[in-house]
Amino acid sequence: MENPAVILSLPLILIVVMSLMKMAKKKRSDGKPWFRIEKVEENE
Amino acid sequence: MRSGNPALQSSAFTKHLSAVTEGTMTLSGTVNKTGIGLLLIILSAGYTWGNPGMHGMVIPAVIGGLILAMVTIFKPTLGHITVPMYAVVEGIVLGVISMIFEQMYPGIVIQAIFLTFGTLGALLLAYKSGLIKATENFKLGVVAATGGIAILYVINMIMGFFGSSIGVIHSNGMMGILFSGFVVVIAALNLVLDFDFIEEGVEMGAPKYMEWYGAFGLLVTLIWLYLEILRLLAKLQSRR
Repeated sequence: MENPAVILSLPLILIVVMSLMKMAKKKRSDGKPWFRIEKVEENE
Repeated sequence: MRSGNPALQSSAFTKHLSAVTEGTMTLSGTVNKTGIGLLLIILSAGYTWGNPGMHGMVIPAVIGGLILAMVTIFKPTLGHITVPMYAVVEGIVLGVISMIFEQMYPGIVIQAIFLTFGTLGALLLAYKSGLIKATENFKLGVVAATGGIAILYVINMIMGFFGSSIGVIHSNGMMGILFSGFVVVIAALNLVLDFDFIEEGVEMGAPKYMEWYGAFGLLVTLIWLYLEILRLLAKLQSRR
C-alpha cells in the first residue's frame, strides 16, 4: 500500500479544488466573478 | 442544537446576550484565541514529548481536562482562564499519546498533524465558498452521527472494565478501517458546525467572552479529529 497519508490527503485536495471552482463561479456584488482567466492581448 | 459538539449550542449565545459589557464577539478575536489555544497545546505537547517523566501526568491531565471542559461549558465567562488551562492539559495528553504512536509507527505524528490542519484549511475554504452549507438537515445528520459515535465509545469504555471491547473500534481489518474513516469524516464535519456557531455568534453580537467559548469548541473538535486521524493512520500502517 502507498503512504496512507497521501491517500487520505486526496479527498482534501478534491475539496479545495471544488471550493476554488465554486468561488470562481460565484459573482461579486458588482456582477463580476472575483477572478477570471482571460487571454492577454499583445502590447496590452 | 446547532452543533454536533455538545459545547456549542445556539442557546449558548441567547443566554449571554444580556451580559454584554466589554464589546461583542468578533471573528478575528475568535481566530486569535484559537491560535493561542493551539500554540499552548503544541508547547505543552512538545514539553511532554521531550520529558518522559511527564507521562505519569496523563491520568490527572485527562481528569483535569474533563473538569475544565465542564467549567467552560457551564460558566463561559471564565473561558479566558479555563480554555488556556484546558489547552495546556490536553497538550500533555496529546504529547504522550503521540509519542507512543510515534514509537510504534515512525513518522505517523507529523502525517497526522499535516492531515488535521489540512482538513481544517480545506473545510474552512469549503465553508467560505459555500460548497458545504450548515443547513438544518446537515446539522441534524452530523449531530446524530456524533451522538451515535459517542454512545459507541461509552459502551466500549464500559466493556473495557470487564476486559472486553467493541472489535470494530480497534480492528485493523477492512471494517475497522471503514469505521475509523467514517469517524474521521464526522469529526471533520463537526468543524463546519463550529464555523457556523462562531459566525452566528458574531452576527448575533454575542459578548466578547464568547470568543473563548468559540475557540474552545474548535479546539475540542481539532483534538478529536487529530486523535481519530492518528488511529486511522496507525490501522493503515499496521497492515503494511
